[in-house]
Amino acid sequence: MGDTQLRTFEVFHQSKRGEPHVHVGAVHAPDAEMALMLARDQFARRLDCVSLWVVPSDQITATTPEEEAAWFDPATDKSYREASGFPMRDIIKKAENWKE
Amino acid sequence: MTDAALTARLFSLADDELILGHRDSEWTGHAPILEEDIAFSNIAQDEMGHALVWYTILHEQLGQPQPDRLAFWREAHEFRNAMLVELPKGDWAMTIVRQYLFDEFEKLRNAELAKCGYQPIVAAVNKIQREEVYHLMHSQGWVARLGDATEESHRRMQAALDHLWPHALGLFEAIEHDGEFSARLDVIKTAWLEAATKTLAHASLIVPSPTTPAIGGRRGQHTSYLKELLNEMQKVARLETPDAVW
Repeated sequence: MGDTQLRTFEVFHQSKRGEPHVHVGAVHAPDAEMALMLARDQFARRLDCVSLWVVPSDQITATTPEEEAAWFDPATDKSYREASGFPMRDIIKKAENWKE
Repeated sequence: MTDAALTARLFSLADDELILGHRDSEWTGHAPILEEDIAFSNIAQDEMGHALVWYTILHEQLGQPQPDRLAFWREAHEFRNAMLVELPKGDWAMTIVRQYLFDEFEKLRNAELAKCGYQPIVAAVNKIQREEVYHLMHSQGWVARLGDATEESHRRMQAALDHLWPHALGLFEAIEHDGEFSARLDVIKTAWLEAATKTLAHASLIVPSPTTPAIGGRRGQHTSYLKELLNEMQKVARLETPDAVW
């Protein structure tokens, strides 16, 4: 059975001014205004929040799982293009982990 | 303001919130969509939280028993809520129309309470008014959409409005011993009618013609629905000793 519960809207949540809006999930709603209201209850009551965005799910253009390999899997070894060979990277990682 | 007036006023505030909160909580797990289930359960908890605020003033300032005793150990005739909030939840239209009519009333009532000069009430209103503004946006949002969404939604919303209207008018019933605030209720009735008429008309709903308000709630006269509600709400508390810790 298909989804019979109204349209869906993707919800983006901002925890602090200046931070990026982060995708946190989706809500069903009859329209965008109601979606905002319902998103507040799903996502803004228990998280610090200063701003919410909602976007109709059908307005997002996305790659499909079938395209995954063609789009994202390298055909040949390209690891030489990555920064992993640099010793600084490991030092930074270590410093980051140490914080936690 | 006498203590008798303040006590009667606070019981009308607290009991409206507690009984409506309980009715709203009956939708938990049953609301039309999951998102609304969560939103409406939040609102139910907000209303009960506001009831606690009012009961706490009754206890701390006016010598009434603890909030838990007031909620779980009084009988129906001791409750001072308007009948509107004790009616069964009905279908979703009934619930939304009731919530809207009450939220619109509460916003105006709170604005009046903020001017009443009794500091504990003024401080409490300032705390809860923000949540009530959101409640009103929420119920108004659904009224606007369901009023003229489909033939069925319109029919259900209009039927709910017709059924609830005399009870909604009962919200303005005078409060015993509290002539001062009762007079304010008369004033806000005009503003309420104006606001409600605008929202309902916008949703293609017809405001019922003037009718006799269903009053009595503020004097402890209730429908049998309140007794049934209390039986359920108070059952667990009464299995325990009165001093059980939750």
